[in-house]
Amino acid sequence: MSRQIPLEVIADVGHSPYISERKVYPRDVSGRLNRLRIAAVVWLLGMYYAIPWLQWDGRQAVLFDLPARKFYVFGLTFWPQDFPLLALLLIIAALALFFVTALAGRLWCGYACPQTVWTEVFLWMERWTEGDRGRRMKLDAAPWSGEKVLRKGSKHLLWGVFALWTGFTFVGFFTPITDLAARTWPLNGAGAGWGGWETFWVLFYALATWGNAGFLREQVCKYMCPYARFQSAMFDRNTLIIAYDPMRGEPRGPRQRGLGSVMQRGRGLLNQVLAYEFVYRASGHAAAGDAMALARAQAGLATDDAFTASLTQPLPRPAPDAVGDCIACTLCVQVCPTGIDIRNGLQYDCIACGACIDACDEVMLNMGYPKGLIRYSTQNAIDGQPTRVLRPRIVIYGLILLALVAAWAWGVGGRPALIVEVLRDRNALYRTVSDGRTENDYTLKLVNKTDRARTYRVEVEAAAGIALAGGPQLVPAQAQQVLSLPLIVTAPTTIHGRQNLRFRIHATDGSATQIVDSSFFGPP
Amino acid sequence: MTDVATSRFAPPPRPLGQLVGAILWPSFFAAGVATMVFFAFVDPLLLRDMTFPRLSLTRGLGYTIGFFAFWGATAGASTFTWLLLRPPGRFDRALPPN
Repeated sequence: MSRQIPLEVIADVGHSPYISERKVYPRDVSGRLNRLRIAAVVWLLGMYYAIPWLQWDGRQAVLFDLPARKFYVFGLTFWPQDFPLLALLLIIAALALFFVTALAGRLWCGYACPQTVWTEVFLWMERWTEGDRGRRMKLDAAPWSGEKVLRKGSKHLLWGVFALWTGFTFVGFFTPITDLAARTWPLNGAGAGWGGWETFWVLFYALATWGNAGFLREQVCKYMCPYARFQSAMFDRNTLIIAYDPMRGEPRGPRQRGLGSVMQRGRGLLNQVLAYEFVYRASGHAAAGDAMALARAQAGLATDDAFTASLTQPLPRPAPDAVGDCIACTLCVQVCPTGIDIRNGLQYDCIACGACIDACDEVMLNMGYPKGLIRYSTQNAIDGQPTRVLRPRIVIYGLILLALVAAWAWGVGGRPALIVEVLRDRNALYRTVSDGRTENDYTLKLVNKTDRARTYRVEVEAAAGIALAGGPQLVPAQAQQVLSLPLIVTAPTTIHGRQNLRFRIHATDGSATQIVDSSFFGPP
Repeated sequence: MTDVATSRFAPPPRPLGQLVGAILWPSFFAAGVATMVFFAFVDPLLLRDMTFPRLSLTRGLGYTIGFFAFWGATAGASTFTWLLLRPPGRFDRALPPN
C-alpha cells in the first residue's frame, strides 16, 4: 500500500486580486485654468520645437555635442570640466521644485511637466479624430467597423507624425538640426539618410512619446514618477492645494429646482466632523473598508468585518433643505485625467491640473451658486483657520535656493578660459644626453576654452640652470582647441635629485594665466 | 493547503508586468544618471586607450556600452531587492514528487 496520492499544486490563474488600470476618458473642460494650461503647452512646446533652430555666432544656439564633449547654450560653452556646474544646476532645479511645491503644490505636474504637456496635445488630437468623451467611450466599446478604423487610423497617423517630429527635434539638440533636416530620407532624394544612432534615437524618442502621451498618460504620474511619491513631504496645511469644501458641499445629492445655495437659504457650513463623516461614507465605502482591512491584516491584526461594515452604511437621506451645494453631478470626476474623485480629499494621484475646478465652477454658475466649491486653497483655509505663507520651510528653501543660484552664476562667470595640465613622462625619471646635461620629458595638455584663437607663452621657473629646451615657447591654439605638446626641460650636471619646477603658461594678450607645479629629477 | 493568493497576512504576488516595470524602470533611471556623471569626468576614448587600445571604439559606442553596463548593474541590484522583499513563507511547499 505505497501508492502515491497524486497531489498537484494548482496554479492560481484567472482571479488575480490585482485589476488592470482602467482607461480614463477625461471629459473636455473649458475655463480659466484650462486656458492657463493651453498657454503653458503652447509656450513650452514652442520653446522645445523652436530652440534647436536658433543660431548664435554662426553655430546652433543650443547644441549638446556629445562626440566633441562640448555643450553650447547660447553664448556659453560648457566643457566636461564644468560638470559640477551642471550638477549644481540640477540641484537648483530640484530645490526650486521643492520651494514651489511647498508654496503652491504641484504646479509643475499640472502645467509644466513634459508628461502633462505632451499628453494634452495628444488628447487634442484624440478629440479631433474620435470626438468627445462619450463618443470615444462608445467607439472603444463598438465592434470594428470602417468608421472605427478610419477614426483610430487617423488618430494614430496624427500621433505618429507628431511623435516623429518630436523625436527628430530631440536628436536636433545633439546633432546640428539643419544638417539633420537636410539629410532626411526620403525627402531629399536618394543618398540622403541619418546615421544609425540618429535613426535609432529619432525612432526611440518618437516611440516613447507615442507610448507615454498616447497610452500611459497619467499612469506615468501614478506609477512611474518618483516626484509624485515624495511630493507630500513638501506639503503642509498652508500649501496651496486643489480642495473640495465639504463643509459647504455635504451632504451631496440631487435637489429640487430653484433651491438656493447653503448660504442663500441660511443652512450655512456644516461642522467639520459631520462634513468629513458624510465624505467618508459617500466615498466608495467599499474601498475605504478594504483599505482598513488590508492595513490591519498587514499589521498582523485580525480584521473586524462587522466593524468595517458598520462604517460603510450609507447615511439616511438628508431633508430637502439640508443638502449641501454639491449636486453630485460627478463632472469633477469625469474631467479628471487621473480618474480620481477630488471630493475624497487630497490624494497623491492628483496632479493639480485644476480641471475639476473649471468643471465645478461652470456647474455652480449654472445653478446660480457662488463659484469655488472646489478651489485652489489651503487645508487651513478650508478648515476655517488662517493661512501662513511665510513659514520656516519656505524661508529655508528660499534662502538655500538663492545661495545656490548665486553660487552657480559666480561659477559660470568665473570659469577659467584656459586649462593646463603638465604630465611627467612615466617611462624614465631622467635622461643623460651626449653633452652630459640631464633632460626630463613632459606632456603639456592645453585647452583654449575661448571662442577665439589665442597664442600662449610657456615658461619654466626653477633653480638656476634648469630651463625649457629651446627657451620659452609660443603655442598657438585655435578657438576651443585641445592641444597636447611634448616639452623637454634640460639642466646642467650640477643639478642632482628632485628639484621643484613651475610651469607658467599665459596668453600673450594677458587674458589668462595658469601655473602648474611639477618636479625635475637629476641623477642622484 | 494555504491559499496564498487570498491570504490576508501577505500581499498577493504582483502581476508580471508590474514586477518587470518596477525593476527595469528605476534601474534605467539610475543608470542614466550614473552614465551622465561618469562620462562627464571620463572620456571614453581615454578609457579605451587604457584598457583595449586595439579595439576601434568610438565615443558614441563608449557611451552606449557604459550605459548598458550601468543598467545591467542597477537592474541586478533591483532584482536582488525584489528577491529579498518577497514574503519568504509564500514559497514553502512540499518537495516535488520523484
